[in-house]
Amino acid sequence: MPVDATSRTVRFLALGAAALALISLACFAFPLYVIRPFRHQGSTELAVALFVKQIGPWVGICCVALVSVLAILSWPRIRGWVPRSLMIFTVALTIGGAYLSRLNVYELMFHPIGEPQFQTSQEASIDKDDMVIAVRLGGLSRAYPVREMAYHHIVNDTVGAEPIVATY
Amino acid sequence: MLSFHLAGINNQNFLMRDDQTGTFWQQISGRAISGPLEGSQLELVYSDELTFGLWRDEQPKGTVLKPIAKYSAGYEAKDWDTRMSKVRTVLGFPHTGLQSRDLVLGIEASGTSRAYPIERILFGKLLEDRVGSQPILIVLGPDERSIRVFKAPAQAGATVSEFYRTVGHVAPDAELKAATNGALFMDSATGSEWNFSGCAVSGKMKGTCLPVVSAFKDYWFDWRNYHPETTIFRH
Repeated sequence: MPVDATSRTVRFLALGAAALALISLACFAFPLYVIRPFRHQGSTELAVALFVKQIGPWVGICCVALVSVLAILSWPRIRGWVPRSLMIFTVALTIGGAYLSRLNVYELMFHPIGEPQFQTSQEASIDKDDMVIAVRLGGLSRAYPVREMAYHHIVNDTVGAEPIVATY
Repeated sequence: MLSFHLAGINNQNFLMRDDQTGTFWQQISGRAISGPLEGSQLELVYSDELTFGLWRDEQPKGTVLKPIAKYSAGYEAKDWDTRMSKVRTVLGFPHTGLQSRDLVLGIEASGTSRAYPIERILFGKLLEDRVGSQPILIVLGPDERSIRVFKAPAQAGATVSEFYRTVGHVAPDAELKAATNGALFMDSATGSEWNFSGCAVSGKMKGTCLPVVSAFKDYWFDWRNYHPETTIFRH
């Protein structure tokens, strides 16, 4: 094969791999940038960021699959440890982006409570002036202490056969 | 049936996702804003925000969420709301007469939204007002911290019955226990005395209860962000 065509093919494959890595990284980086505490979210950018969050994991997987194919195709044509390292690095970035777009940083900051457990008022060691969110459903009374809810934020529960989600 | 997890933040009010469809829901409104169920609305469950002491006296058989030992270091300290009041906001509504972190009680009724500064409720202890066409009573509990809102009874004629708070400063414990089932306020039309559950304990209306109205304790910036047409109680 002529040298020119080979290097054009390699350039094309390399650019393609780089583009896939960037797309994969953008899938996690763009929503992370937009949806940040202490930042104002405009309605359009939020809508786009939420859409990207929903498709991100699938786009990430596709990018990993495609970049792997490109890496395999280009490998025999790449000479030297620098270009080869760059290709490996590009694949790693793509995998990294795909993994990170499945990560929920909010649950890392505020661990979910899982299956909620309850105790009687007598057992609870809460000060009488601490605030609770109280509900009555199906004849049952339940209280969610605000100081605990301010951490977990969400409790999936069933009260008197009624499935609810307590949020704070 | 949907279950939810924490997923993000939108102008300092959190977003959650359901595990079943991945739809994003706004916490304050219960509305799905993005995803397969976009446009759906979660049904609000009536809830009270009360001191534990008052709730325990009203509901002795009630159960309380247990803390999780390994996360309890992250739970808020007692003074969290004082510290939170100094945290900056990303939204501001100047020229409304309220600061972003002012606490309000937000009420939606008959298609109208109205915000009641918490300070005003703590000072007045009993407020009579209307939200749209709905007459309401905002009542401060005997613990001087819990707040409930009731529909004021419909009256024939133009005037709404006047309500008066009857309990003064309440001493701790024994009196609080008595007062939670006892009279807290009375009305001029029937001479009935009502307790903090909104039920008449004496007088012509004894045995009847006023319907409760959902109210949200919120920061002004958040209430105003989701209720742009809200009015403000300024009396």
